[in-house]
Formats: sequence, structure tokens, C-alpha cells
Amino acid sequence: MRKWTLMLAPIGILIAGLMVLYLKAHPTIGAVRPELFLGLSYFPWLAAAILIAFFVQGVLIHRGMDHLIFPTVLLLASVGIVEIARLKPALLAPQLRWLCIAMVALLVVLRLDSCIKRALDYPYLLGIACVGLLGLPLLFGTEIGGSRNWLVLGPMSIQPSEFGKILIVLFLAAYLSDHRRVLTLPSRRILFLRLPPVRFIAPLICIWSMAVLMFVVERDLGSALLFFGIAVIMTYMATGSRSYAFIAIVFIAAAAAISYTAFGHVRVRFDIWLDPWQDPNGQAYQVVQSLFAFAAGGVWGTGFGFGHPGFIPEVHTDFIFSAIAEEMGLIAALMIMACYIMIFWRALQITLACSREREMLLGAGISVLNLMQAFIIIAGVTKFLPLTGITLPFVSYGGSSMLSGFILLGMLLSLSKEQKHG
Amino acid sequence: MPVTAVFLKVFRVVLEYGMLFWLLWFSVRLSRQIFGAVRREMRKSRAAETAASEAVLCVLGEGEPSLAGRRFAFGEQIAIGRGADNDIVIPESFVSHHHAVLFRHANQYVVEDLGSVNPTYVNDHPLKGRAYLRPGDVLRIGMVTFRFER
Repeated sequence: MRKWTLMLAPIGILIAGLMVLYLKAHPTIGAVRPELFLGLSYFPWLAAAILIAFFVQGVLIHRGMDHLIFPTVLLLASVGIVEIARLKPALLAPQLRWLCIAMVALLVVLRLDSCIKRALDYPYLLGIACVGLLGLPLLFGTEIGGSRNWLVLGPMSIQPSEFGKILIVLFLAAYLSDHRRVLTLPSRRILFLRLPPVRFIAPLICIWSMAVLMFVVERDLGSALLFFGIAVIMTYMATGSRSYAFIAIVFIAAAAAISYTAFGHVRVRFDIWLDPWQDPNGQAYQVVQSLFAFAAGGVWGTGFGFGHPGFIPEVHTDFIFSAIAEEMGLIAALMIMACYIMIFWRALQITLACSREREMLLGAGISVLNLMQAFIIIAGVTKFLPLTGITLPFVSYGGSSMLSGFILLGMLLSLSKEQKHG
Repeated sequence: MPVTAVFLKVFRVVLEYGMLFWLLWFSVRLSRQIFGAVRREMRKSRAAETAASEAVLCVLGEGEPSLAGRRFAFGEQIAIGRGADNDIVIPESFVSHHHAVLFRHANQYVVEDLGSVNPTYVNDHPLKGRAYLRPGDVLRIGMVTFRFER
């Protein structure tokens, strides 16, 4: 029974938040009138999401997998759903629908975990698939919100980079665990760096730079940073060699300098970060409004439904963290960050208990990926780093991001089964 | 109806703070579950540390008749060499007067070569300086082979 108690909080937040919004929309409740049921069309999806969530938790407990991560992810998702219901009521039902689809995908991944482990035997196919997936928007993509990284398939649009994330973690785990010994051979020394022969690191460098190049062309800086960061951290984790980390820092500094001089949009982002007050009503409007939102929130927040986060453009996707911080205050913001950190902690525990090297790398990659994505966007909206638009995992509105997040979660949880049996 | 209005207002405030309450409750609960497990593990490992404060060196094979089949249990440290002031005396010309020493560092044991002329072998690799020992590791000094056990 103790394993179920954590499930109370997400449901409590959903019920409390949606009820506040309902009471706000219907300030007088007298006799039962038909118009009282207006705007409750999301209800079937809500019920379905809660049922599937309980089913997933039941499956996890039954199979002896980790039972703490899933409720935490659900808590994040429920905060996101409540905030989306307040910001863009029209998007509530789609978000709930995506949550249901994502949880079903999680179950499918748990079911197919042996297939996924077999896929790790083919690193080059995974790498090529990843590059191909990232290259699709170059050919067929459409531009939404300034970055050309969307594929429009009939009624829905998907973001291939979100799924490329999964493939690159799989590729890196497979490739690095196969080539770990070769990559740590200190056969050549350049200054104080120890590097293996070029032919061993060529595929790695090739796929890194292809991924990063595509994002620069597609103007998706956040994903470029995320992909590059995950590649560097996973290489470091696999080899334990600081030379790679050093080269990566040099490389990213050079790339940043080149793109600062070559691309206008990068320069704008960077200048906004240095001094948003030069153009607070123009290009820096989004960041400045986000900072105002944090200030307005204070410690306890303005109260759910009483803030004005609507001033921030794109508040329901990239800037949802500012909206949460404005309406629920510093406390909720800290708790959300704590949730990400505890997911990371728990994921590392699962990873360290794995027996095989490639599974350890896969688990570590997934846990770092989640934390890094949350860090990049939270740092972006609080102007700690230059703003790069990616979604806050599990919280932001977005089907692709929700789906890929839950698929990664499924792979992580299926590693935790390993730990129990051996 | 002022009563219902007041009631609704109070209800709404309760719900507003209810969300924060759930968030806080969840974080506290989760951290207690996660870090409680860590604390239990730490306590267990500390208990193991005090219980297994002793290590044993078993002599393998018949390399040296005076030592064959003996077991040397020790707590803090044990010295090996040709000199008579060592805990384990190996009367062989290959072995230096003070050849090697094993000592405890935190809850692990370390073997240190004391600059001997012929090397100390740990699992058939010549030892340079110091190395941590794991249970089951095999030490070879001169013609004598020891197994380290805890």
C-alpha cells in the first residue's frame, strides 16, 4: 500500500487545480443548470488518463520495477496540465490525450524491452537512423515559431528532434560500450591530450557534428545544445578520459564564436542574454516578461489563476516554468526542480545496479538527458543561460515531447527490472 | 446568497493552497522514501565495516616448507620480508629484508611494496607502490603465494 500513496499527489493537484478553474468560470452555483457542464468536455480524457496511470503503476509494482519515478513524472505532468488548462483551455483536452497516448507507449516499451536491448547490437544503424530522422525536416519540414524542425502529417505536427533524442542515446550507449577499450587507448599525445587514432573516433565525431550542424541549419539551438551535451557527457562517462571533455569545450566555444558572427538569430539571443533592457519591448520581450513573472510571483506566488502569465509569448510550451513560478511562487518552482533532481538520483541508482555496461550507459544517458533538458530550459527562462527554446520535460505542452519523454522513461524503468532479478 | 458565496470563496482558497500542499507533501514524502533507502544502506555498510575488521592471508601451495598451509589473520597491519622482525618471515634470497606490508585504510586493505629488489606480484602483475586488495586477490612474494581473504 505504501507504494501507492505517492499517486495521491498528482490526482490531488489535478482535482484542486481544475476545480479552481471551474469555480472561476462559474462564480455562482445555484440550481443545477445545463450550462454548468459547459467546458467539461475534457472529462473523459481526464478519467482515462487517471485510469491508465493507475494501471501503469500497478504493472510497475507487479513486475518489481521502480515505483518512485513514475509518480514523480506524473506529478510534473499534472502540474503542467493544470497550468495549461489555465493558460490555454483549448489545449487541455489535446494534452490529456497526449498523456494517455504517452502512457500507453510506456507500456508498449515495457513490453518490448527485449527488442530494444537487441537493437543495441546495431549501433551504426541507430546512428544513421538518428541522422536521417533529424534530416527529415530539412527536406519536408515546416517552420513553426522560428525554427524549421516540424513535420506536418495531416492533422498533427511532430517534432523529429524529440525522437532523435531517443535514437542518439541508444546509439551512444551501443557504440561507446562496444568501443570503450579502443577509445581509451592512449596511443597518440597532442600537447597534454591523449587521443586514440582518428579512425576510431571518426564515426563518433561524424554523428555529433552532423546532429549539431542540422540543428544550426534548422535554427533549433536548444536541441543542438542538448544533443552536443549528451554526446560529450556520455563519452566522458564511458571512457573516463578528460581529454574528450576538454576537446568538446574547445569545440563548443569555437562553434559558439563562429555562429555568433555568422548567424543573426544566435547574435540576437546572446545580446538579449547580456542585456535584455536594451530592447525590452522588441526582441527581448519574451525574456523580460518572464523575468517580470518571476518577480511578481515572489515566494508564495500570486495564486493560481490570479497572475498574468499570458503576457509571455509561447507561455504554454517553453515558458511554462515562468507561469508556474508566477502563480505558485518560488516554493512550487523549487519543488519542481527538486522533482527533476530526485528523478535523476533515482535513475542513477537504477543505472548503478545494472550489470551490463551498455545498459548502464543507456540508463545514465537517459537520466542525464532528462536533467539536462530541464536545466537548459529553466536556465533559459531565468536568464541564467542564453535562451534556447526546448520544452520542459513532462510539463510543457507538446505531444512529441511528452511521447518521447515517456518512451525514454519506459526504457529506464525496464532497466530497473534487471536490478531486481540479478 | 452571501453564505454560499463566502463558502465558495473559502473553498477556493483552500483549493489554491491545496495545490501547494500536495506539491510539498509529495516532495517530502518522495525524498524520505529515496533517502531513507540510502540511509538504510549506509547503516548496513557501516555495520559490515565493524564486523569484518579482520583479514586473513592464506599460504597456497608448497613453495616454502616452513609456511605451507598456514593462515595469518591480522587486523591493522602485517609485514612480510626476510628479516626476523617481520610478521611473516620468508627465508629466501629473492625476498628483501622488508619486502611488503599490508595495512588497513578505512574499511579496505592496501598492499604496499617497500622498494624490494624483486617485485611483489598481485594477481601476477608486478606491484608498483600501493594497491587496494579485494577478497580473493593472490599475492606472490618470492616463491610463496598468498591468498587475501576477509
